Amino acid sequence: MKDAPLYLRPRVDPPLASLLGDVPFLHSLVDVLGSPLNVLLPEVVADNAERFRSVYRRHRLAGRVYFAHKANRSSALVRRLAACDPAAVGIDVASLEELRHALSCGFTGNRVMATGPKDREFLWLAARVGATVNLDSAGELEQLAELVRTYGLGRVDVLARLSGFESDTGHGGVGTRVLSRRSRFGTPVAEIDELWAALERHQDAVILTGLAYHLDTTGLEEKVRALERCVLAMDECRARGLAPRVVDVGGGFGVGYVAEAGEWERWTTALSEAVLGVRPPLTWRGHGYGLRNEGGTVRGAAALYPAHRPVAGPGYLDQLLSLPAPVLGRPPATLLLEHLNDLYVEPGRALVDQCGLSLARVLDVRPVGVGHTRHLVRLGMNAGDVSLEEHGVLVDPVLLPRGDLRDEAADDGPVGVHLVGNLCLEADLITRRLVFLPRLPRAGDLLAFVNTAGYVMDFHAHHAQRQPVARTVAVTEEGGARRWCLDEDYWPLTHPQGVPS
Amino acid sequence: MRYDSITEAIGNTPLVRIDPAVHGLSNIDLYAKLEMLNPFGSVKDRPAWHMARPHLEEEAGGHGTVVELSSGNTAKALALLAGLHGLKFKSVTNRMRVPEIRELLLLLGAEIEELPGQSECLDPTDTDDPLTRFHQALSEPGNTYLHTDQYFNPRNVEAHAAGTGPEIVKDLDGRAPDWFIACVGTAGSSTGVAQVLREHDPQVRVLGLVADKSDFIPGIRTIDEVHQVGLFDPATYDSIVSVTSQEAIDGMVTLIRRCGLLSGPTGGAAYQGAVRRLASVDAELAGAGLRQSAVFIVCDRAESYLSYVRRRRPELLGGTRRGHAVSSLTDSEIRARARVIGVEDAQRWMAEGDPRPLVVDLRGPHAYAALHIEGSINIVDEVFEELVRTGLPFSKRTPVLLACPVGEKSLRYAALLTRMGHPDVRSLADGIVAWRDAGAPLVRE
Repeated sequence: MKDAPLYLRPRVDPPLASLLGDVPFLHSLVDVLGSPLNVLLPEVVADNAERFRSVYRRHRLAGRVYFAHKANRSSALVRRLAACDPAAVGIDVASLEELRHALSCGFTGNRVMATGPKDREFLWLAARVGATVNLDSAGELEQLAELVRTYGLGRVDVLARLSGFESDTGHGGVGTRVLSRRSRFGTPVAEIDELWAALERHQDAVILTGLAYHLDTTGLEEKVRALERCVLAMDECRARGLAPRVVDVGGGFGVGYVAEAGEWERWTTALSEAVLGVRPPLTWRGHGYGLRNEGGTVRGAAALYPAHRPVAGPGYLDQLLSLPAPVLGRPPATLLLEHLNDLYVEPGRALVDQCGLSLARVLDVRPVGVGHTRHLVRLGMNAGDVSLEEHGVLVDPVLLPRGDLRDEAADDGPVGVHLVGNLCLEADLITRRLVFLPRLPRAGDLLAFVNTAGYVMDFHAHHAQRQPVARTVAVTEEGGARRWCLDEDYWPLTHPQGVPS
Repeated sequence: MRYDSITEAIGNTPLVRIDPAVHGLSNIDLYAKLEMLNPFGSVKDRPAWHMARPHLEEEAGGHGTVVELSSGNTAKALALLAGLHGLKFKSVTNRMRVPEIRELLLLLGAEIEELPGQSECLDPTDTDDPLTRFHQALSEPGNTYLHTDQYFNPRNVEAHAAGTGPEIVKDLDGRAPDWFIACVGTAGSSTGVAQVLREHDPQVRVLGLVADKSDFIPGIRTIDEVHQVGLFDPATYDSIVSVTSQEAIDGMVTLIRRCGLLSGPTGGAAYQGAVRRLASVDAELAGAGLRQSAVFIVCDRAESYLSYVRRRRPELLGGTRRGHAVSSLTDSEIRARARVIGVEDAQRWMAEGDPRPLVVDLRGPHAYAALHIEGSINIVDEVFEELVRTGLPFSKRTPVLLACPVGEKSLRYAALLTRMGHPDVRSLADGIVAWRDAGAPLVRE
């Protein structure tokens, strides 16, 4: 018996849909550049920045949208963002090399925010070029102040990252405690007074421009609480004579990968049923993604990215700004505005939503299992090249048949396949999920993994077994003509390779 | 009736026949088991008392804390029972989704702990979910938690097998109904009642109702969530179907407005799910000349769900506002009527005006306390909106300068006040942000 197809078809907006529709173009790219191949649409990242900016405008808020560079290594995306309004778009870098890359792509130092744990070289360059340093700890402040004095760097703009809002009893409602995952980063609000004292002590070296937080949660309530706490802490700073202006709410706005809620709901329900054994497994060797069967009851939590999101990205920011805050009752947007604070956000995944796809050539197709109802499809890529599993993202690839190989035979209908990689390693599965495709692929076809620009495309790519790492190309459209160039050759000019004569 | 303890009033709830003119089933007698009439207000009084009783009697007056995963009626009942025995109660929950219930629990002296939301930067190797950590905390040596464990505790089912089920049979003159319809939350009531009914008549058909997966109905789980309930056994139910929050509210309104039953949405869902399923049964019975009976549970009362209804069906709580309101202004009217004044002119007006304007800051009191224009008074916009409707605390002869963060709200109110006949009301152009950016002085409280 064939399994009923449980699709998780991707959400594809018009620019990506148009690219996907140009099957010969994509095949020709892979013919030239090899499999795997990453394809980016730099214009879309600018459109996304504009969508975030429109949320700012709706709430009358000032401040920058900073791209969290770690989501993608591409030069094209960073250069395209560098070409956006300098007052509106900045970049968040988390390493010395990301900082150098941002500067080389056209970002001036004052549009750069340095986040995460930092070594001395990173701090020095950030301070030298006038970047804002998002302070991870009191120790980092000491180190930065010492560098500034020793090397005569001039006062550095800093944000203080706060954490540990859960244990904060100063402003919470009595009786209710909203728990949060503990973060390794930032200064706990319980130690905030020492931080203020240190900032005052180092006023010759740093200028506190604002407060920051970043919570790893999809929960709006936790974020609203942190945001409100920051607004109140800003007033504490001002009362001490400091003059911060910015609240930085970090990122984590999310992306909807799967187009239809119904498909996502059917699949997750089926996963529970498969774990209970009342339906055939949906995964490689019955993997439960964290769910387990204990005496007929499902235990554990599914370690899956919520792949269908009714609200994500700019819409999520809009909601965050609109919910009533727990103590003061007014929405965060109103609080920010009334307390005269600007807003910074650092979207990564959400800013590169719909910005690209990853292509893989089908190398081999062979039947497996009893009755040969399922197939192994081996691809010219490995799990490091599209790290879907690593981020718990479940979404179907799109099948792009090789035109000249398509014979006239009738379509054989939907089929369940396991997508395996090119490494000599049992665990090299592109996804552990049984993926349904509208028909059985053939060697030479392409599979397009859509919307991979955020963390999925190159975050985990490696050289194991000397397998090729994907090349990345940037695709632009002008007057109906599609052009491409290598990512490193892209510049945000109308005619990158010169004006046609 | 005289009792020594309110706990004696738990159970023995009425079984009330629903008028066929309301449900339209001509061959089925439909009865509502009014669990909302338990003393703490819901069906959960029974399992809460039955599960907690051994703990409570042993630990009364000690330092223990009763703890349960609940954001609703079980928490409510346990909070009251714990208080009655001089103990504390802590409710652990994913999210309190009905604000009135949260406030009610706080009033009852409960402590509420909300578990963290799902991770955005997912680490698939971390399968240690917040619930696992909760159970670890409960099993730490030396802790004083008394965990009632409603999703796994067989005493939850027993409470209904010993109480709710036999009461239904007794009230139906010793016969089990042909149909039993129950919403599935902890599965305690449906499992316990079904057990008893089937002992009387193995032909009883049990319909389990779950919430539509993308929807939320208080006290009802979705099909995925019921699989995580230890007491849930699919064999209990002849069929399991889903209901939506809109159906739950429809059913609730029918029970309230036509049957005199102050049911909450859970009871509404049970009623609506029952009628939907029984309609086809009724049609078959009509041909056969047979009569059947059916029972559903009204789990709790309506009053705690006003915000739930307001979010989904605001028209049910309607009523239009009277008096002046900024929402009645059109954009062209705002442009035509509102006067604005820039920062420099405003400063001069405040210093030299005769009379000087009253400066009203429309921001929140915290923002006002942090920084404001010297001499301004603070009337937060929500209050100002109310005052505009009911009566302003200043005369029409008083010139007024309105200020808000960016000069948007103040512009609307300036237009409205002008329409109301105030001759000299002006809005601070671009608001307090512009005032600050111009370097004009702001003071702190």
